[in-house]
Amino acid sequence: MTTVRAATSTMLAVWAALLCAAALPAADASAPALLWSDGLKKVFADRCFACHGSLAQQAGLRVDTAAALVAGGASGQVVVPGDPEAGSLLARVTHPDPAERMPPEGEGEPLSPAEIETLKAWIAAGCPAPPDEQPERDPRDHWAFRPRVRPVVPAVAHPDRVRNPIDAFLEDARGRAGIAPQPEAPRQLLVRRLYFDLVGLPPTHEELSALLADTSPDWYELLVERLLADPRHGERWGRHWMDVWRYADWWGLGDQLRNSQKHIWHWRDWIIESLNDDTGYDEMVRLMLAADELHPDDLPKLRATGFLARNWFLFNRTPWMDETVEHVSKGLLGLTMNCAKCHDHKYDPLRQEDYYRLRAFFEPLHARIDVLPGEPDLEKDGIARIFDGVPEVVTYRFIRGEDQRPDTSRPILPGVPAPLAPHEIMILPVALPKSESEPERRPWVIEAHVAQAQRHLDAASAAHAATPTPLTEQAVAVTVAELAAVERRGTAMRSAWAVEDSSGVAADDPRQVAAKESAAEAVRAERQLVAVRAQGTLLESEVKLAAASDDAKAAFEKVVADSRNAYEQALTAVAQPGEAFTPLVGARWTPTRFRNSSADDPTVPFPTTSTGRRSALAGWITDSRNPLTARVAANHIWARHMGQPLVATVFDFGRKGTPPSHPELLDWLASELVEGTAAGPHAKPWSMKRIHRLIVNSAAYRASSSTAGNPEALRIDADNRLVWRREPVRLESEVIRDGVLALAGMLDTRIGGAPVPAGEQAASTRRSLYFHHTDPDRNAFLVTFDGAGVKECYERERSIVPQQALALANAGFVHDAAARIAAGIEAQTRQRGLGSEDSTFLDVAFRTVLGRPPQAAEAAASTAAVGRWRNLEPAPADGSVEPARIHLVWALLNHTDFVTLR
Amino acid sequence: MRIRFPSRIRFPSRIRFPSRIRFPSRIVAPPRVVAPPRVGAPPRRAFLADLGLGFTGLALGAMLSRDGVGSPAAWLPPDGRPHFTPKAKSVIWLFMNGGVSHLESFDHKPEVTKHAGKTIAETPYADVQNPAKLALERAPVPDANGLQRNVLYPLQTSFRRHGQSGMEISDFFPHTARNADRIAVVRSMWTTDSNHGAQTQFHTGRHMLDPVQPTLGGWVHYGLGSVNDDLPQFISIGTREYWNRKDGMYLGPAHDAVPLRIDPANPLDFGHPQRPFAPEAQRIGFDLVGHLNRQTSIEYPDDPATAARIASYELAFRMQHSVPKVVDFADETEETQRLYGLDLPHCRDFGMQLLAARRFVERGVRFIQIQHGGGGAGAWDAHGGLKANHQGLSLAVDQPIGGLLEDLARRGLLDETIVLFASEFGRTPGTQGADGRDHHPFAFSVWMAGGGIKGGVVHGATDELGFHAVEDRHYVTDIHATILKALGLDSRTLEIPGRKRLAIDHGTPIDAIMA
Repeated sequence: MTTVRAATSTMLAVWAALLCAAALPAADASAPALLWSDGLKKVFADRCFACHGSLAQQAGLRVDTAAALVAGGASGQVVVPGDPEAGSLLARVTHPDPAERMPPEGEGEPLSPAEIETLKAWIAAGCPAPPDEQPERDPRDHWAFRPRVRPVVPAVAHPDRVRNPIDAFLEDARGRAGIAPQPEAPRQLLVRRLYFDLVGLPPTHEELSALLADTSPDWYELLVERLLADPRHGERWGRHWMDVWRYADWWGLGDQLRNSQKHIWHWRDWIIESLNDDTGYDEMVRLMLAADELHPDDLPKLRATGFLARNWFLFNRTPWMDETVEHVSKGLLGLTMNCAKCHDHKYDPLRQEDYYRLRAFFEPLHARIDVLPGEPDLEKDGIARIFDGVPEVVTYRFIRGEDQRPDTSRPILPGVPAPLAPHEIMILPVALPKSESEPERRPWVIEAHVAQAQRHLDAASAAHAATPTPLTEQAVAVTVAELAAVERRGTAMRSAWAVEDSSGVAADDPRQVAAKESAAEAVRAERQLVAVRAQGTLLESEVKLAAASDDAKAAFEKVVADSRNAYEQALTAVAQPGEAFTPLVGARWTPTRFRNSSADDPTVPFPTTSTGRRSALAGWITDSRNPLTARVAANHIWARHMGQPLVATVFDFGRKGTPPSHPELLDWLASELVEGTAAGPHAKPWSMKRIHRLIVNSAAYRASSSTAGNPEALRIDADNRLVWRREPVRLESEVIRDGVLALAGMLDTRIGGAPVPAGEQAASTRRSLYFHHTDPDRNAFLVTFDGAGVKECYERERSIVPQQALALANAGFVHDAAARIAAGIEAQTRQRGLGSEDSTFLDVAFRTVLGRPPQAAEAAASTAAVGRWRNLEPAPADGSVEPARIHLVWALLNHTDFVTLR
Repeated sequence: MRIRFPSRIRFPSRIRFPSRIRFPSRIVAPPRVVAPPRVGAPPRRAFLADLGLGFTGLALGAMLSRDGVGSPAAWLPPDGRPHFTPKAKSVIWLFMNGGVSHLESFDHKPEVTKHAGKTIAETPYADVQNPAKLALERAPVPDANGLQRNVLYPLQTSFRRHGQSGMEISDFFPHTARNADRIAVVRSMWTTDSNHGAQTQFHTGRHMLDPVQPTLGGWVHYGLGSVNDDLPQFISIGTREYWNRKDGMYLGPAHDAVPLRIDPANPLDFGHPQRPFAPEAQRIGFDLVGHLNRQTSIEYPDDPATAARIASYELAFRMQHSVPKVVDFADETEETQRLYGLDLPHCRDFGMQLLAARRFVERGVRFIQIQHGGGGAGAWDAHGGLKANHQGLSLAVDQPIGGLLEDLARRGLLDETIVLFASEFGRTPGTQGADGRDHHPFAFSVWMAGGGIKGGVVHGATDELGFHAVEDRHYVTDIHATILKALGLDSRTLEIPGRKRLAIDHGTPIDAIMA
């Protein structure tokens, strides 16, 4: 009787738990094991597995199976089946003291009352669990952490559906699901896809017509090669990689630089050039991380380190380091290392220490701007780059990630997460050439300063020649003195190097004597410049005094007296001997304010060695054995061609991320990227153009995006995970704007250069990737269409909101472009003798804007609208394009098929 | 985890696509239409289709989760319905850029004046500068502000008791004071950033050195649908000086505030054609675009992006006309306009913003965020000349605020609208320079009024110098939690898998001030 009652009360407890455990899925009370497998296990997985599962077994305890939980840990049993009061588990999860409670504070939320009730009921029921319960798998066994092996291309039942191995992998999966792919899209759509996809701009009407008329069997492949070789390809894919690599122009308060670096656009130009040159992905990554160690003194390559300089932050090293660690991990490795900043990673085999070990690679960083040939003014231009400025700074783990709480008991050395290391990494210091530590030695630096002084002199002379006054004459004198001072300083620097670079130069050696003499001359010339300037100031003040009204004279007399005094002091200084001149500048450290004062930190000198940490890290990341790098890159490329990635969580290939929809295809693409065995052009390792070529030549890429005629596939795979059709893709904001301008022949096709500032963007016709890109002043049109996020942009949003309709319908440049396009169409039809009828205009307008002719219903609706417009606004008498036709083009630019790649 | 609006939204065929649905303005958001996850499809995405009921909601129509971010059964995006019975349906969020001095507004501290000229160390309250008590201040942006100011500076205005509650309010705010029995003041706010990054912190709950989070307005927009399909549901008016302009952050740009100007001729970005385009001609154009897009949707029958785009164009066309009407006050009586101070040059601008806010609330707009005070890091940032600064600025905002509370009340709207008055931090009891106060994150005051909020309540307290919040201390996210609770939302339910928020992000509702 007692037993029965106990059993009944157990069942009641189970039911009670079920009733109050609203958060838990309902379980069948006849099978209390489901309490565990359908409810509690999920609770434990979220709260407990990170420390008591396959990743770690703290206190010797695992709770990832009921059996392991019952078995207990180092301190014995934590639950006693059938007796909720025995065992320490319930006491620990309900402990009133947060320091004693599990999960520990900051590591997870406490269990809810309902969850605790369920736990009690489950223990009371005897901790039942399904008989075949498996423990969590070893995290190192996760698919993305396993070595990549080139998969065998499967044989398929429908070889006619296969253009290259990509299709074989896809068809293999489709075949197993029993669905067929869509047929190829019409040629006009294929052309439009390839243009937008590979160069980011629409084909011109002429290009499209020629391609439609092309009867050669390999017109498609030839077009692919032509577009891959087109320099606009680098701009198109440059913007994609700028998303992933987080390109951002400098930002500050007024003129004060606070984030990124001035002139960082050189990094953007390097990306464009490198993509056009088909520089290997591995080489690009290596240069972005460590060009200063791998190719010191190679300024064109040093541009790549903008990748790291972009994270620079004026006030605090930690945000700089945090962004670097987070995005090197997410962007290059598909790892959410940022989740391990405060505690061990909850899902991946990354310890908190690994976060700081990765940070340690970057800890010595500082930023600087190097002088470019021809421009010594670093406010105007220069190469923004990084260098190991403070190798002595020690990295510490921050307790709970709080930067005020470094664990100074143990310095952290650079290292990579052990479970992911395919090989040991070796860090060797790199000796830098003199031109790195003394950049003023670069051959063009002195020349650039002299040329600048000469330009100043020429300008002052010209001004004086035009309208001579005492002030212009004085200005000439100043620039003459400036040129002399710059030349003498340059001479003195060269003389000093002559001594410095040869060992054992005696004091009476002519070189030593020359060095001393030229230094003295440089000092004198500098002081003369000061004196001439002071003379100029004096002159100006005297001119003002002469013009001053009587009551203001006294004040100006004081100014004149002060100026005279300064001038006389300067003259005295010229006569005095000196040897310490100001060297001409070859690079400037970008001052930080880490010391929490309102002044710049003490200058960080340019060292003669670099730690070698980053080149070691770059070597590890780009090692062909790294399981993640190539997979992550291949996924990014695939996603941008095909409209959806193979791994949906593009920056998280870890255990919390989504497994690939086609694991073998991903590995095959990654292998192709690394090894490059596919025949044809772009055969070198890590060629991205090879991957582009493979993807766009696949039948999958060429398939129709319509679902029409394939109800079976739609029923089985509405989300198109099996890639039985192409995804329609909403064009990115930049491509929409560029496309409108290009169709109108308004696009400025110059490649590269300084960004267009916010205030000039409305009138600019440059491609959108050249717009100054930083958070406070983003271009309204680009933002409306989900322009690249500045902080993080691994995937573009694809929102559809009314503001976009307003932007495209009302933006001035769209109306301007519509007028230009309409005029162009009329000129073209006239030229080709096609007649001036509405039907002709309509046909060419559809082909021009949408890349296809109108269908009958579209033509009818458009013709009707043109008629209504014509009633409102008759054709102008001067024969210029009539408003009705301009409005028609406007409507086509607002057509869903204009902003969509079908 | 990035949530994006998919180009693929599947509308169940039996649901008709309403071109326009009108709801009486007093009705809480109707349930959105939820398309259940398809049976038999890969368990990949959970869809929510909002068929044109909302403004930004409309189209996007849907949000999706991804594999691996919780099973579809465990997580669905919000359906636009409150999680429990709401007390309010709209928020008017008044934010004073730069840092209002709590000592000259809502927290009367006569001891500051009594010890004026002494260093804090010389007063009986020296312990307020105990370093342990200052530790919450976190890695500030150092620019010579946000420092300890030691010499006490006397209060620059007097205080009086107001209303039945006898609430003490400074003489800088007489019109607000007239409404003392409508408002609940919280005097025990604290934050951690001693520089103007605290502006972002007040809106997102996170210090500027932390990863950026969505703002409260973004969360509300995400969590609640629309009650009006002609207007944006999350509006930003006035200047944002110092903080990130993206509200939605990882919720997506669809949840950013739509910036509005109180100018019937030009209220919206791209709100009217930037080249001559007669309204009739534009109407023909929008009709043609809709017609052509519908042709496309025949050829691509399962492309929800096309359907969403058709709807978005229809809405956009209406918005062009509906938004200017809301910010055109021609149909407001002169008495009402005077109530907001529209006849007074010094408060006309802010008064127009608040009158517009009331008109938006009447039309069911969810969240109207108004920022006051441009220039530098915010006009209220009185490092020097505090008296003149606060006198002038309170003159600009106080009458409109009093007018807003009274106007909402007499129209019966105050019961369902929350009004918040806040700033990023308070100001130091000690003087900066001769006549200013510095940034002060350790204590400041905010007040709330309206739906779900008690009137005539003072909650929390600071020490005698107004230095530290000492009783019922509240971090900024407690304000968020209070507002969300009044709106019937549970922030934990809104949370997106893969975007783990911390306990402090959620905050705790201040039940003591809730009706």
